[in-house]
Amino acid sequence: MPDEPPEDDSKMQGQIQVDENGSRNDEWSICLQQIGQTQCRASFERLFAHFAPLVKAFSMNGSAVSIANAEELVQEVMIKVWQKASAYNPQKAAASTWIYTIARNSRTDMFRRLRKFDTPLNAEDIWEEDTGDAPFIAVQERRNALQVKELLKTLPHEQAQILAKVYMEGKSHSEVAQELDIPLGTVKSRVRLAMQKLQIQVEK
Amino acid sequence: MINYHPDSRMLNEFSAGSLPLAQSACVSLHLNYCSTCQRESRKLQQMGGMLFERLAPCEVDASLLDSVMSRLDEPAPLTYEAKTTATDESPALMRRLMKGGYKDLEWDRINSGLQISRLHTGDVENEFALYHIKAGRTIPRHTHKGTELTLVLEGSFSDEEGIYQRGDFLMRDAEHEHTPTAAKSEDCICIGVLDAPIKFTGWNYRALNPFLSLQAH
Ligand SMILES: [Zn+2]
Repeated sequence: MPDEPPEDDSKMQGQIQVDENGSRNDEWSICLQQIGQTQCRASFERLFAHFAPLVKAFSMNGSAVSIANAEELVQEVMIKVWQKASAYNPQKAAASTWIYTIARNSRTDMFRRLRKFDTPLNAEDIWEEDTGDAPFIAVQERRNALQVKELLKTLPHEQAQILAKVYMEGKSHSEVAQELDIPLGTVKSRVRLAMQKLQIQVEK
Repeated sequence: MINYHPDSRMLNEFSAGSLPLAQSACVSLHLNYCSTCQRESRKLQQMGGMLFERLAPCEVDASLLDSVMSRLDEPAPLTYEAKTTATDESPALMRRLMKGGYKDLEWDRINSGLQISRLHTGDVENEFALYHIKAGRTIPRHTHKGTELTLVLEGSFSDEEGIYQRGDFLMRDAEHEHTPTAAKSEDCICIGVLDAPIKFTGWNYRALNPFLSLQAH
């Protein structure tokens, strides 16, 4: 083993690993793929034990959602995970990202339902499934994903805190500004700084 | 070639799900045309996934697993497949909002060069409307109240600051004064999302100065 040079240096960093086909081979991406291919209930139970508590945390994060609603959301999300698992493509996203988007979509739809929004749209119309060329995306972006994960750990608290409020609590920049009692411009510039640090912003 | 994009705040709020529905629909349509923003929003989604992974887990009631396991055989709702039945080339989201072609919509005729059709998105705080500007015609000089998002769907228009083509996304605030003019070669259809909904106050008023009514107090 020690004499063998690594085939892919991306295997050396972070927890998300990507093989030479650009496919994720971390524990949960493999597990999710198995569920999609074989409808394996035992694998689903394992996935549930890991992700359901995260989905619940996400559901309750910073919002006025009751525990009953949060648990309803956990059920909804986990059933969708089961139903859509065969569409999961590990070349496009890590399992955690894929499950996060389902949770985000379901939470957004739930908020609209709770506020009795009368709309012809649901979250899946707004965030359409990616139609991009998967292998191309993987090759181009897998290194970036590993990088983001590492860089995220190095963000100053004031930037990380705002990203958590925006993404996990689902707050707008102005809501965050109000809550932290800082000017909107400060929130915007902290987000922009974080985007630069994480190398997310694309030159336009 | 897309030259005008949503800013960082918009893309972040869009990806996180906190952007109002009508504005989200407008950003989503821009992504249809813009591979650059698609890429950026994919990265933002990945980042969201990483933040999600780092949440402190919140214990779920033991009965929840049983209840989910007992529901696994339920058939998946049809909506998962419903959107692959595209027959024309306009974005799926537009087809869902329009339920037909441009001709089938109800248009409000503002003057001989401009018609507006409001589409129902369910967002009560933001108006989502189609603007049809005849080729070569100008929307009279006006200012907006609040924020206006514009996305070009067909043709192109220009103003004091540039030329905007299909897929271009503009955000203008209240201080902005401009006079959009459609290209001479073809009509321009664009989406306008206003966070201070337009109220028309009557035909006479409208005929006198259509855009006074757009910024009515
Ligand atoms: Zn763009």
